[in-house]
Amino acid sequence: MNPRILIVDDSSLSRRTLRRIIESAGYEVVEADDGMTALELYFLDKPNLVLLDLVMKGMYGLDVLLKLREIDPQVRVVVASADIQSSTRQMADEGGALGFINKPFVPEQVIAAIESALAEGATSETN
Amino acid sequence: MKLTERQTDALSELINIAFARTGAALSELTGHRVVLNPPEVAVYRTEELRPALAKFVPGDVASIHQVFAGPVAGDALLLLNYEGAVHLTDLLTDGHKPSNHLDESAREVLTEVGNILLNACLGMFGNLLKVHVTFSVPRLHLETLDELIGSITEGKTDLHYALVVYTAFHIRDSSVTGFLVIVLSVASLDRLIQEVDAWEAQQSR
Repeated sequence: MNPRILIVDDSSLSRRTLRRIIESAGYEVVEADDGMTALELYFLDKPNLVLLDLVMKGMYGLDVLLKLREIDPQVRVVVASADIQSSTRQMADEGGALGFINKPFVPEQVIAAIESALAEGATSETN
Repeated sequence: MKLTERQTDALSELINIAFARTGAALSELTGHRVVLNPPEVAVYRTEELRPALAKFVPGDVASIHQVFAGPVAGDALLLLNYEGAVHLTDLLTDGHKPSNHLDESAREVLTEVGNILLNACLGMFGNLLKVHVTFSVPRLHLETLDELIGSITEGKTDLHYALVVYTAFHIRDSSVTGFLVIVLSVASLDRLIQEVDAWEAQQSR
């Protein structure tokens, strides 16, 4: 079965863009338009990786990351945000994200970040 | 407060770098070459903002508004006249027949383009100043210029300045003029200018 990716973004345009990129690379996609829905979906469905926006209505993305790690310390998260600040990238790193990509999305960068996070997660699971 | 020629030049160059990166990425996203004109920068007191912008946006305006907070705080807006906003979304999407209104999908595209551009610009300031800035969710507003100015000056009793960045999007042999308006307190603008001065001095070494 192909790895399943959970896209968490309140912009339906961003979700559609990511879905197109990700499905064309052969992955399965599930979507959430806010943090609470993402937490529920993750708990029930355990996707292989989460692509997480930061600035959303309701919960802020880094808070979602924190909660996801409480549910599953091994969760693989790649942050996908328009925020280009190095400080934000560092906060995502410190929060346990395995990657960080910026909007607007470049397909090759999205797929590379997903592949790298899946590989990194697989390595830590075998250790 | 008036910027010197060197400060204006340095600030324009910094924003140009952020815009170039954004233009390249928007090109990838849309499959069309998107070029953003080198920006022109001006600083106004907020009470001078209406007459300064009225020359360029006489009718209704579409704005994408984000509040940013942190050591440097204020309001950031991408501003387009209504027709320009419709035209820009037609160009960015593959609108085969030109429309004359902003439907839900066009509003989404516009909000996301605003989000990306405002983040590119403010994020670059955050990196330069070595401070962390947080953003609110971007909101699209369709209103008159007077209503817009009223909403961004409301409740601001102390002196505020607006950094106005003029640019144009060139896509598929068409162009649309837009404005980035960043409203800052005197202290925030002072801090930004100090860091721009330091960056400019470092570049000229």
